[in-house]
Amino acid sequence: MLLLLSPNPIGENPERVVQFAQSSLRRRDSRFSIGPRTVTSRPIGRGSDLAPSLSEGGPRLPLFRRRLVAAAMFVSDCRREFYDVIVSQRVLLLVASDVDALCACKILQALFQCDHVQYTLVPVSGWQELETAFLEHKDQFKYFVFINCGANVDLLEILQPEEDVSFFVCDSHRPIHVVNVYNDTQIKLLVKQDDDLDVPAYDDIFRDEEDEEEDSENESDGSEPAEKRRRLQEDVIERTMKRRQRREWEARRREILFDYEQYEYHGTSSAMVMFDLAWIMSKDLNDMLWWAIVGLTDQWVQDKITQMKYVTDIGILQRHVSRHNHRNEDEENSLSIDCMRIAFEYDLRLALYQHWSLYESLCNTSYTSASLKLWSVQGQKRLQEFLADMGLPLKQVKQKFNSMDMSLKENLREMIEESANKFGMKDLRVQTFSIHFGFKNKFSASDIVYATASLMENIEKEGHETTNFIKALDSLSRGNLDKLHQGLDLAKKQLRAIQQTVASCICTNLVISQGPFLYCCLMEGTPDVKLFSKPVSLCLLSKYLLKSFVCSTKNKRCKLLPLVMAAPMDVEQGTVIMVGIPPETESSDKKNFFGRAFERAADSTSSRTLHNHFDMSIIELKTEDRSKFLDALISLLS
Amino acid sequence: MEPAEVEFLAEKELVTIVPNFSLDRIHLIGGDLGPFNPGLPVEVPVWLAINLKQRQKCRLIPPEWMDVALAGSLIRQTQEKLEEIRDQERKEDTFTPMPSPYYMELTKLLLNYASDNIPKADEIRTLVKDTWDTRVAKLRLSADSFVRQQEAHAKLDNLTLMEINTTGTFLTQALDHMYKLRTNLQPAE
Repeated sequence: MLLLLSPNPIGENPERVVQFAQSSLRRRDSRFSIGPRTVTSRPIGRGSDLAPSLSEGGPRLPLFRRRLVAAAMFVSDCRREFYDVIVSQRVLLLVASDVDALCACKILQALFQCDHVQYTLVPVSGWQELETAFLEHKDQFKYFVFINCGANVDLLEILQPEEDVSFFVCDSHRPIHVVNVYNDTQIKLLVKQDDDLDVPAYDDIFRDEEDEEEDSENESDGSEPAEKRRRLQEDVIERTMKRRQRREWEARRREILFDYEQYEYHGTSSAMVMFDLAWIMSKDLNDMLWWAIVGLTDQWVQDKITQMKYVTDIGILQRHVSRHNHRNEDEENSLSIDCMRIAFEYDLRLALYQHWSLYESLCNTSYTSASLKLWSVQGQKRLQEFLADMGLPLKQVKQKFNSMDMSLKENLREMIEESANKFGMKDLRVQTFSIHFGFKNKFSASDIVYATASLMENIEKEGHETTNFIKALDSLSRGNLDKLHQGLDLAKKQLRAIQQTVASCICTNLVISQGPFLYCCLMEGTPDVKLFSKPVSLCLLSKYLLKSFVCSTKNKRCKLLPLVMAAPMDVEQGTVIMVGIPPETESSDKKNFFGRAFERAADSTSSRTLHNHFDMSIIELKTEDRSKFLDALISLLS
Repeated sequence: MEPAEVEFLAEKELVTIVPNFSLDRIHLIGGDLGPFNPGLPVEVPVWLAINLKQRQKCRLIPPEWMDVALAGSLIRQTQEKLEEIRDQERKEDTFTPMPSPYYMELTKLLLNYASDNIPKADEIRTLVKDTWDTRVAKLRLSADSFVRQQEAHAKLDNLTLMEINTTGTFLTQALDHMYKLRTNLQPAE
């Protein structure tokens, strides 16, 4: 049984096709069923009843695809199928531009250094850069590792690799494209098996096409006319039955694929997957564990995973932390002060509070600022009341945290939690980890996330794109504390800018309801608007804005709407960067449908858009096309 | 000699490691190494130990003298630990024998790369630094008196190569100058 043949195999070497067909025969015999991962209809989440009309047209997926077998290509033994294969080869690492990818890259680099693996590191910030890097290097490398990019598109089609090239994809973007899942030879997915993937079953999406050929061969060959007529009639009936069956199958297939690819979300952090690999090889160190923690915290800071998943992953990491840091330090065997210690903490949710003053941190953390409504005068008063309730004098609170009185710092967490409960902030404490080395270096995981993200998207120095990436990568090592402190300063500036922009947007009512979603557009003259031309900063701003808006508005319906945010990206080229984020609710499942919505809207209005980012819900478009794009989006989603 | 060269020579000293891999005996020009079996201690030169430690392939065991205080009176006769060594050095006017001719380099290397395998690393660092300071101070005193009294030769026991290296250049150049000045004076007399 052949898998497929394209109708005009012009230019194909016929021998090669035949050889291929024979080998696919052999592979077909070893197919196995996918097991519990059968089709489940996606539960209609919040916000999806706002997008019923997305069901017309389906994702663009070729029905017939060569080189596919009904075997899901998840790597079951990370060590044998991934690491042992590349340990003796030269590898190209393609790393996306977010903190989780940086951490995963650091862990992998450390493993490579232990085993003297030759590798080349290429930072990529979008699909275009990925393709350019691939084209540049495809002659020199046979093994490519994709970190936090590449799982949600058809890699084979976009990159067109040779037969012997292997791709290893370690990505937290979901849903994973079905071609990547079912490709046997070239694409291997480094993904934890217990992630809720819900991949559709093989038979529902792909089918053999020997029927196609039989149809075209059904021509009458010489026989008696009467028999021929009877046979013809039977043939016609058979053919119409088959055609009807095929049409039903195709309709069901479209529906299944649409359900599967409608919502974007995120799975386990790539840094944690890499740390698992290191643990399996018994090469895990405290440093790598710390990077895994930072990767997970990045997902939480950027609101990419649900609270439950975060808590589960924290539990997993907590076990590793106690394994590494359990040494009973007494007189007999005390560890050097320079050694790194990680500790689990039920810490305050205030951003950077140990490197700032408590007052600034309260003003610039989205949770407290939104709950206390700090953009209004009343909000400021509530803040004063809050501080007074805790008994913290203003003078103490406004100075650097490290210089606060010890007596105040001792029970700070419990005091703040008590008072916060009275003011309606029930989740002010969060489970996280902190690191401690040397005499004065103590950092919390979220501090590192903010610092590294600011370094990566630093707009101050107009250098080459990759210098910022490399600087951010370096700042994750313990030896580069000066870069880390620089990152912390940049992060403070960024958080202040975000809060000021949010305050001005809310006070000037820039957030308007367009029906199915909220919309906010930053004008060019806004202060610090250059800061928001980068995707991660803009996403952070949008999430904070949505949180604050939900707290400020009285309209119950508006509280459940998602947000689309636009900011000028490049003034000379006249482009705008647009971001869509899911609605802010207590138990949202963080699933984002804007990726598909943006694609459809761009198609229908033929706007000049660039879907360059690995997150489908971030696009760039020309400023002139913005209004017609928005109109299309509104009509699409209403 | 550069300090780096002295360190290079010091890296030939043997230290015990516990590997986590297995390898047969390897034959190098300088001697044989191994065989390596996971969990069994083996003696290797410091350069190999540091390299394996950085690649997470072994665990280092500190040498016997690299410990803070005496465990019991039995050990006292056979080897002295660092506190004792430091106290003795302070008491005596001349140099006391050191537990290893490369004690400074070994301490620095092992504490930089393997401080998690060495208990009480900070105290050890302080004690070794104290001992070093005392010895170098004595060396400076004796070099000073040597030059002043225009001695022709001197004999110092129990110095390590690193300490000699610190004063070596200065001392030889100073004595050269003294010699030149002396020979220039004589015709005038």
